[in-house]
Amino acid sequence: MEKVFEIYIKTTPERLWEAITDPELRAKYNFGVGVDSDWSPGSSYESVHPAAGIKIAAGENLEVEPPRRLVQSFTALWSDDVKGEGTSRVTWEIEPVGDSCQLTVTHDQLPEGANSELFGGWPMILSGLKTLLETGEELTTPGSLRYSGAGAEEWS
Amino acid sequence: MDEVFKALADPTRRSLLDELFERDGQTLSELEGRLPMTRFGVMKHLRVLEEAGLVKTRKRGREKLHFLNPVPIRLVHDRWVSKYAEPWTAALSGLKQELEKEE
Repeated sequence: MEKVFEIYIKTTPERLWEAITDPELRAKYNFGVGVDSDWSPGSSYESVHPAAGIKIAAGENLEVEPPRRLVQSFTALWSDDVKGEGTSRVTWEIEPVGDSCQLTVTHDQLPEGANSELFGGWPMILSGLKTLLETGEELTTPGSLRYSGAGAEEWS
Repeated sequence: MDEVFKALADPTRRSLLDELFERDGQTLSELEGRLPMTRFGVMKHLRVLEEAGLVKTRKRGREKLHFLNPVPIRLVHDRWVSKYAEPWTAALSGLKQELEKEE
């Protein structure tokens, strides 16, 4: 199964790449969860929720071509249900368009009928990423706050 | 954002999105088979959805597959829906947590 998510963000490829790979910036729009890696090709990465102390996801950086392309294997770890879905693949592609960037996230190699939790968070993540890069602010809709900071009990 | 509202303001286009939500990555022929409409009609609606960014296409060999891109709907939600509707949901879910904590 394959899922495609696309968004236009008024920023440069370099800033967008930084927002995707920097743990602190990432946590601002990714349900409060950053990502730790040295970002060399073939390296591993891991996402741990800082408040709840729960492993959220892990995998390998299969292709790393800053600031245009990142291919990662992805294993969701936030619940027993999603752990059972195995490993899928996430491809980030950044394409400059005028004064903006087209960011496409392709989440594929998902099992048929995969649990929608695996890919259902992408629209909210990408919307928060756009808000962060275009306004410097974090998205404050109640839904986006549910899993970060004070709302971390939702993970447990 | 006008294009997104315009694209969503048609029942056939909303059913096309529902079709792709159920089963993503369909060809034009598959979608045509599911709707009481000519191939030309389906193509016309798909083009409006593509222009609004709600449908993305990918080539697979000789086939063109159509994928639902839900991100523009999320942007509409974050800008236009959550402000008006979500505080209630958030307040109620907060109340629920408080009550359950006390048990």
